[in-house]
Amino acid sequence: MMKEIETRIKEVVKDLFTQNKIDLFIGYSKGSLPLTSSPCFITKSEDIEKLVWNSFCSNNLAVYLPRIFNPQPRKKEKIELPRIGILAKGCDARSIVVLIKEHQIARDNVFILGIVCQGMGDRKKIRNDIEITGAEEKNGRITIVDENKKEIELKREELLSDCCIECQHATPPIHDILIESGNQRPAAPKGGGRDFEKKSIEDRWNLFQEEISKCIRCYACRQACPNCYCRECFADQTKPRWIGVTDHISDVMFYQIGRIFHQAGRCVDCGACVRACPMGIDLRVFTHKLVRDAKELFDYEAGVFLEEGLLLATFKPEDKQEFISEP
Amino acid sequence: MIEEKIIKKNRLNAMLQELSKEYSIYIPAGENGDFRFCELRDTNDELVFWDYRNTRISPKEILFPHSEILYEFSRDESHQFSISQNNDDQRKMKNVILGIRPCDARAIGFLDRVFIGEPNERFVDPYYLKRRIHTIIISLACNRPQISCFCTSLNGRPDGEEGADIIAFDIGEEILLKTVTEKGKEFIKESSKWLGNVKKSDIDKKNKIFKESAKRINSRVSVEKVKEKLDDSFEADFWNEIHRKCLGCGICTFLCSTCHCFDITDETSADRGKRIKCWDSCMYPLFTLHASGHNPRPNYKERMRQRIMHKFNYCPENFKELFCVGCGRCIRNCPVNLDIREVINQVSQLK
Repeated sequence: MMKEIETRIKEVVKDLFTQNKIDLFIGYSKGSLPLTSSPCFITKSEDIEKLVWNSFCSNNLAVYLPRIFNPQPRKKEKIELPRIGILAKGCDARSIVVLIKEHQIARDNVFILGIVCQGMGDRKKIRNDIEITGAEEKNGRITIVDENKKEIELKREELLSDCCIECQHATPPIHDILIESGNQRPAAPKGGGRDFEKKSIEDRWNLFQEEISKCIRCYACRQACPNCYCRECFADQTKPRWIGVTDHISDVMFYQIGRIFHQAGRCVDCGACVRACPMGIDLRVFTHKLVRDAKELFDYEAGVFLEEGLLLATFKPEDKQEFISEP
Repeated sequence: MIEEKIIKKNRLNAMLQELSKEYSIYIPAGENGDFRFCELRDTNDELVFWDYRNTRISPKEILFPHSEILYEFSRDESHQFSISQNNDDQRKMKNVILGIRPCDARAIGFLDRVFIGEPNERFVDPYYLKRRIHTIIISLACNRPQISCFCTSLNGRPDGEEGADIIAFDIGEEILLKTVTEKGKEFIKESSKWLGNVKKSDIDKKNKIFKESAKRINSRVSVEKVKEKLDDSFEADFWNEIHRKCLGCGICTFLCSTCHCFDITDETSADRGKRIKCWDSCMYPLFTLHASGHNPRPNYKERMRQRIMHKFNYCPENFKELFCVGCGRCIRNCPVNLDIREVINQVSQLK
């Protein structure tokens, strides 16, 4: 099935270039390590062959759109916006919806090639001490080869990212063309974050500190997140400087709390921050709490309906207010 | 005169216990293949790093920590200023770093050139020097290279000695220690009661294991022309393409064992403050942002170019060495798989 989707992607992109509908296509190419794919920028039809589709096309490609439409530094002359084709899984498309609603993307300049996603794998699900020297994906099974040429066969499902296991939006809510992927994976019950929520405030705080203490402030979580498009992040501001520069837990927590809370009502639970973190911090424990709060308190899911107002910019008389006094 | 000695693995704890009276001992600690250098607190703990591959974050953090307070300053009621050197660093001044991989030991040799330089150098980083000068580096020859390892393309070897005072070889039940520097020899002499003499069979065993290990490093890049090619490529079109997928995070620079850029910041309140040195990254816009608001490296392109140029052109110019040891951390951890080997290959092929 993966191969057929890949062929279909190439056909569509070829047509887009032939009909001069786009200047740039953002998809995935083969990664340099087993079980990876890499974001890929196609500007001419000769390069279309580089495109791939497999179980490791996990990057949220929407992250590249704001920087293309709002280049830094601001140009004085009005620049002509490029026309961009982009491959979008459910979560990528939800990010695109958020970005359109937040006026970061010119919708008319984006051609969305949607794919009904089967969930993406995470290399980190395999223990770090197993050195994967090769991998092959076939009929829903992934065979990895270790350094002693031993083959280990895994079901695709065993490697799925946590966010993909719990994903409720495999189908892109917005698209110009949609590629179906056959048998739809049933969405798993929503479970993420529940354990965290059940803990006492004190335990939650301790768990947060423990997890966040691994942070080295490389800002990969921020840079991988499509929602983090601020021209200047509060963590980088110097006039005034809001946060100390050290890796001391108080400075790190300030950054993380700030970034995480900026995701309230905006996070689409794509898992980009978790995947990017080089220190293995499970940031999703915290962002997912916001996702659940948005859903449970306001029946709101980010990036699902283009016409719906933004959660934090909309007031309804029946909005719940308990959360203000009850943490 | 090189000295080779042998110690049984099960006697090492006793030796470390005695050493810990005088030295702070740093070892790779962790589980499930996920390691980081930590100070050994309990010398009864079983040492589990013999088969580890490498630490996620490079051991440069021991000598060049993410952030350190250089000094504190304050003002009293009569507006008298006073400065106090940071004294909260209570650690003993003598360190042993045990188990560092040869690639990372070599990288510490590079950092020495940057922060200490030649003898009688004018510009010495006293904060680095105070840690470095009393540090003994006992590297652990690499028996489990990864597919992202390419040290052999950069003059390194899984049993390379550069940067280490002593190199240790795991030959099964025992560890073979080989001295590299005078400092190492002195250290071996001090610890001689724990050490036995090497037999010919031990050396044979060692040679066999590490010949095998070198064979496992199959990833090769050609670096011969990189410096020269970069000399004329500052304006090349190549940079317009190569940076495109870069997210602009600091993973590659922070995890790198040779990256050494830092920032100095004052954190002040009404009448007191601290001067702090902390890691910085050329991948961040703030790195070059001027007070005027102008930024000479405004985009991802310029920042990525700087990283490559610094490692493969400016450092070879200044220190006669490519500032990459082929540890592969940036390859394994880049969130978009922007592989430095591919960048090097593309640079080598520039017209």
